[in-house]
Amino acid sequence: MPLTPFTIPQIALSDQNLVLSPPSDVNLREIRRVLAFLLDRPRDLTPGAISVLTSALVDIADALEDCVPAVSALLKVNFSSLLSSHNPFLSHSILSLYRHFSEAFNEYDIGKVAYRLQLSASDTGQKLIFRLLALHWLFGSTLLTSQVSSLTSLPGFYPQVFDPLAVKAKKLDAISVSASEGDGAVSLLEDGLVCISYFRWLPGWSTETLVAFRAMHKLLIGVMPHDGSDNGPGRTRLGSLMESTIFADLENVLIHLALEHHPLVPVIATFISRLLQCETHSPIGSRFLQTLDRCLIPNLKPGYGLSFYFPLLEKISENETVAPKGVLELLKRHMVCLTDEHGPDTGHRSWSQGSRVLSICRVMLKKHKGSQIFRPLSLLLAFTCQNFPDLEVRDNARIYLRMLACIPGKKLRQTLSIGEQKSGLAPAPLPASLIDVPPHPSPDLKKSTGIASYIHLERLKPPLVKQSWFLPVQGSVPALSNGSGPAEGGIMDIVTSVAPSSPDESNKTDSSKVAYQKEASRVMDPNTALLLRVLRTHFGCIPDYRVMPGIKIRIPCLLRFESDPFIRTWGFESCDEQTLPALYAIKITFSTLSKYGKIPSCRVPFLLGDLLKSDLAIVAVGQGNDESIEHSNFAKVFLELQPEDPMPGLIDIFINANTATEQVVSGFLRPVTIGIEDMFLKAILPPNVSDMWVSRYYSDLFDTLWEACGSSVNIGRETFPLNGGKGAVSINGKQSVKFLEVPEDVLINAVERHLAGFVVRVAGASLVKVVQQNRVIENIVWDEKEEEEDDLDVGPSGDDFSAENALVAYSREESELDVEYTQAEMESNSNDRSLAIVDKKKSVGNICVLIFLPPRYHLLFLMEIGYGSTMVRMRTDHWPCLAYVDEYLEALF
Amino acid sequence: MAGCSFRAIWILTPHHSVAFSRTFPVVERRWRSACARDGEVETQAPLPSDLEVAAAFTDRKQREGSARGFGICVASSTPGSDSWVDDPVTRHIITLHINREEAEGYMLWPVIVHTSGNYYILVLPLVEPKKVREYRKLYQRNNCGGSVKEHDNLSSLLLSLPCITGAFMVAHAIGDLIAGETSDPEVVATSSSSAVGGLLDTLTGSIGIGVAPRPKPTSVPILASASSAATLMGSTLVDSSRTMTKPIDKDLLRGFISGSMPYGTPVDLNQNNIAAIRTTGFGSADPPPADLRQPAWKPYLYRGRQRVLLMTQETINAALYDREDIPDSFSISGQINCRAELEGLPDVQLPLIGVKPAKVKMLSVHQSAQYSDHGEDKQAIVFSPPVGSFVLARYQVSHATNPAPVKGFYQLSLVSEDGGQFLFRLTLMEGYKSPYCMDFCTIIMPFPRRRILSVDGTPSVGTVSMTERSIEWKIVTSGRGISGKTIDATFSGTVRFHPRVVNKSLSVSLSKSVLGCTAAEDSDEERESSNNSVNVEDVLMEKLNRDLEAVDLEEPLCWQAFNYAKVSFKITGGTFSGMTIDPKSVSIYPVVKAPVEYSMQVTSGDYILWNTLARSPHAAVPKDLC
Repeated sequence: MPLTPFTIPQIALSDQNLVLSPPSDVNLREIRRVLAFLLDRPRDLTPGAISVLTSALVDIADALEDCVPAVSALLKVNFSSLLSSHNPFLSHSILSLYRHFSEAFNEYDIGKVAYRLQLSASDTGQKLIFRLLALHWLFGSTLLTSQVSSLTSLPGFYPQVFDPLAVKAKKLDAISVSASEGDGAVSLLEDGLVCISYFRWLPGWSTETLVAFRAMHKLLIGVMPHDGSDNGPGRTRLGSLMESTIFADLENVLIHLALEHHPLVPVIATFISRLLQCETHSPIGSRFLQTLDRCLIPNLKPGYGLSFYFPLLEKISENETVAPKGVLELLKRHMVCLTDEHGPDTGHRSWSQGSRVLSICRVMLKKHKGSQIFRPLSLLLAFTCQNFPDLEVRDNARIYLRMLACIPGKKLRQTLSIGEQKSGLAPAPLPASLIDVPPHPSPDLKKSTGIASYIHLERLKPPLVKQSWFLPVQGSVPALSNGSGPAEGGIMDIVTSVAPSSPDESNKTDSSKVAYQKEASRVMDPNTALLLRVLRTHFGCIPDYRVMPGIKIRIPCLLRFESDPFIRTWGFESCDEQTLPALYAIKITFSTLSKYGKIPSCRVPFLLGDLLKSDLAIVAVGQGNDESIEHSNFAKVFLELQPEDPMPGLIDIFINANTATEQVVSGFLRPVTIGIEDMFLKAILPPNVSDMWVSRYYSDLFDTLWEACGSSVNIGRETFPLNGGKGAVSINGKQSVKFLEVPEDVLINAVERHLAGFVVRVAGASLVKVVQQNRVIENIVWDEKEEEEDDLDVGPSGDDFSAENALVAYSREESELDVEYTQAEMESNSNDRSLAIVDKKKSVGNICVLIFLPPRYHLLFLMEIGYGSTMVRMRTDHWPCLAYVDEYLEALF
Repeated sequence: MAGCSFRAIWILTPHHSVAFSRTFPVVERRWRSACARDGEVETQAPLPSDLEVAAAFTDRKQREGSARGFGICVASSTPGSDSWVDDPVTRHIITLHINREEAEGYMLWPVIVHTSGNYYILVLPLVEPKKVREYRKLYQRNNCGGSVKEHDNLSSLLLSLPCITGAFMVAHAIGDLIAGETSDPEVVATSSSSAVGGLLDTLTGSIGIGVAPRPKPTSVPILASASSAATLMGSTLVDSSRTMTKPIDKDLLRGFISGSMPYGTPVDLNQNNIAAIRTTGFGSADPPPADLRQPAWKPYLYRGRQRVLLMTQETINAALYDREDIPDSFSISGQINCRAELEGLPDVQLPLIGVKPAKVKMLSVHQSAQYSDHGEDKQAIVFSPPVGSFVLARYQVSHATNPAPVKGFYQLSLVSEDGGQFLFRLTLMEGYKSPYCMDFCTIIMPFPRRRILSVDGTPSVGTVSMTERSIEWKIVTSGRGISGKTIDATFSGTVRFHPRVVNKSLSVSLSKSVLGCTAAEDSDEERESSNNSVNVEDVLMEKLNRDLEAVDLEEPLCWQAFNYAKVSFKITGGTFSGMTIDPKSVSIYPVVKAPVEYSMQVTSGDYILWNTLARSPHAAVPKDLC
């Protein structure tokens, strides 16, 4: 028990609340006397005593409101003049009387009080704290505030140059409170801010800067106070605020500051993030960021100076309401610029700036939907990981690129949030799925059945021959038991008809056989020896696919999918209609019954759905965008075949992918057709052939192979070792002819369009002239010597020629018939080709075509071009191909 | 809760240990019962011990950046800190978190902080528990900041708590006491050469009891200019400006507290009255007057030779730009000091001359006085004087009738990073006739962030001296005051500095705490920024400004960011505003024959010649004041 003086009344010490009975008349009279006594003497009391008196008066008047009604009238007379005392304690005591008995004072009195407080805030002789308190008192009472909120009295709040910053800040508060009442008053705030306008040249941490931004903030929250204020829920005012001139002016101020005074950028970022963190005002913050994205970002230049703006860029990228494209493109340009300007003394700066950029990218990854950022961010990261001078930055960029490409959005965000829980308010539970192998969601078979109707993998260039053989014939399944082994999956019944025969075992040589045959060396004539040497050189260049990587064929395809059916099937959590569905981590596996070797599967990290069902996407690819990065609405995929048998075929496609909602899409797509022309390759050039001899080499090779594939017996048992040393092959040639009833110009055009790369020689003066004019076929042997019609064969030997005479004769018969028919038809239709018809019997010239068919075969054309018709003589060491070539040649026109 | 009482007073040393503390059990009892009534848990927690207060204060200093705190919401502010409330007043009204090992910690609010003579004076007034609760809501608010348009804002809270204002009065009174300063204003008697003493001198003189000598009263304006001169010398941090700390006279303090605020409730904070009562008491020589009511603030009546001393003191703050786009600005604040040595309890009427032409705004008057404003030229103050010197009235003038006593311009052109050329062209006392007399006039060019190597140049008038951080040009020296003539003074020369040493660590730490970011990109910024400004001078200033420290909210501006010259002068014999008192028309009732002496003096406050060639701070001028 503390010692207390006995003079302290018991009531101050008692713990219980005393229950007071209503005062009697005697009491009241006494009370009135005491009150009158006190009210008469305020001037004689010390400030402390007046304070006690006023608070006592307030209590008494409250309690005896009915009994002593005249109190408030007396107050005015006796206390008003004390308000102008320069003792703030005294002033405050009197003010509390005004607060409690406001009805006793008229508007004029209140106005005078407000004016007095306004003056004492400007009283430089007064101590700082009391100037601040005066402003607080003024704005603590709505009664007083209403007196000074008018525009006329506002200039009284203009801060002076030598006002302490605290006073400046409070005066600016006063202005912004009033300014927020009407649009016309914004200029007042601007005038008020003049006193600290030099903050622009001070460092961002200066007190002046803080004061200036505080004033702007106060203006905003003055217009739109937090909930529970007089103006009701602030949300209703949000729209009108955003449209107001105050807001537009503030936006302009911020943009201007950011552009002109970059040390202030972090302050602006802090200013905006303060708004963003507030529940009521976050839309305003977002709006500021959007404006900055629209008006500031395009005006920024890449370069080292951009580092000033990183805090702001971070804020913009954190905000989900701002499209990230602008920032990412700016950063990409920045990275290009950093790479360009990299020099011996910029190592550290490149590292630090590159890391900052990557940290912004990381924020992007965390905050934005994959579909929005994928394209610009992947471009940025790809550029960085390929070209950026700093190793660490490159590495990190590669990791981010990987993550972007391979992890679906939701999971990616979780992954990136690991270890950052401390900043978040509510730490998200650490997803166990990231550490343990997640229970793999089983593919929804029901949903996956129809995917071929809206996910498409299509060839960039469709095959020339619309293979009627490949028409899916359901009933032909039993036919597939034709020696090609059990069909896998059993879906692709068309395969059976595509590959009618099993590969010819005899065409393949196993190494032991080759080795055995190699021993048999015979005496032969020099002509044959030369032939053999050319052939050995040629075959020595062909890799043996069994022991080394074989020759590969790449067929470009496009992968795309239609959004509408996709969404209908799989559902999609879309925040707006602009957002397209996406597939993540797509894996495409290929299988075929044809002998194409093992076709490597493809991975597409990310794919957006088609916006429309149009073929716009395909047109875009046609323009030759051959970057390895996938485009947002379709992905380029390469089918890589290593044919063991150059035959057309079908390739089955199986797709496996994740949706954004973590469902698994899997199933077969429509198969891709492989045509015979996909197998056409140029013959391999031996390394020791110099550039100027290339055309001659091909021409000679053509002649040699032509001869070898003829019915020559000379080399029939000869074997030619392949590159790799383990295997050898022999040539087993076949020949055929094809008569084409097309005008020579059509034929030349077709050859130039489809076979230009394989032409090795053009003979005949007129033909050479035409072909040379066209400038499509170049770097070949031009043989301008006129040839007789019966000397068509360029081959050195006449024997093989005779051997095929029967065929030729047969063809000729046909051709004549055909030509006649054609001629008649033409004559009946038009006369414009009369000139050609006159000379139709005459040959224009020859075109020699040498095609290499992987893995080791050849296809030779000798086109004898006449007016109106052409005879194509074919020789090959792979006879099954002739069947397809026939159709191919017909499809050429 | 009635009146204004204090639960505790603590005085902390600069090193945050408690040098003096005083608690008031009576008030504490009331606090507890109030808590019990409101059902507050704080009831359980007794007042913190001295150690706990010291720890809490240190803790807050670390949390809030400085002893006073940020005052404004910064990036590092978090809910539950004073700066989160985002008001400069939180540098003066703070919250202490008392952490207890054995029990739950609690929040102590409102704690009034006042610094004086390097001591921190903490006063904890008694407020209703529900007010503390209201503040806690602001303090821990989860939105972006308060507006006065909301209910329960800080302003209305402060308005409803006069005890906070009272606590400040107490804190200031104690501060003055421990610093050995007196709040007595200066009054100069023109007839006698010696300055007039305070109340105690009067009393002791008349009663004849010896009192321990007190330091000579110093006039308030000169003190103010002294502290701003300290600012000019580059020591802006209040916390470390004065290293010397005077030990506290605890007996004096205890006496003052028990006399001025018995049981924690302030009665009279007048130091002199308390000291006089303590020293002399009330004897038979001082019977209360039978027919008159003796005010409580005048415990003794004067006896002796009667006279009235009056003095008008004006301080000019001026910003001279000498530029067309920015008008020069003047503001004059003045006060009338009075010392009425009159017997009994007379009323004095003091007519004022020239109030209307000068557009004088009467800001405040003494408690005993009333200002009456009737008609065009009939302004008067009626008062019943207390004993001793006191400030009778304070006023402000925005429209001076007299020309500026010092006119002209100052140009400083930084030729290189380590040197510059400067030129002054000034006119002093133009248009001032006798009896105006300029006692002294000195111009100081401060370079707080540079060390001066040399100054070349000779002024046309006066002498030049140099310190490490400033150049001082004495145009008129005291003792050789000028009167009735105009002086044209020019001074051109060059100044050289020692090469600059950049102190980066401080700016980095500042930027961290205020902006919440690092200044790691400094090297980048330095290279790039030079491209933006065309002017060499701007580049130099920008470079210099890069490692500026943030000033306290108590400062008007970041002085170090600008080049300027500060003029100090004192003019006697008249006022700048033109408002005067006619001593002959002072009337006293009941009529006595007492001479009235009147003196006038004008001193310079912040009288700044901004460098015409560089950026300078200015403010918009309200239209009605132009």
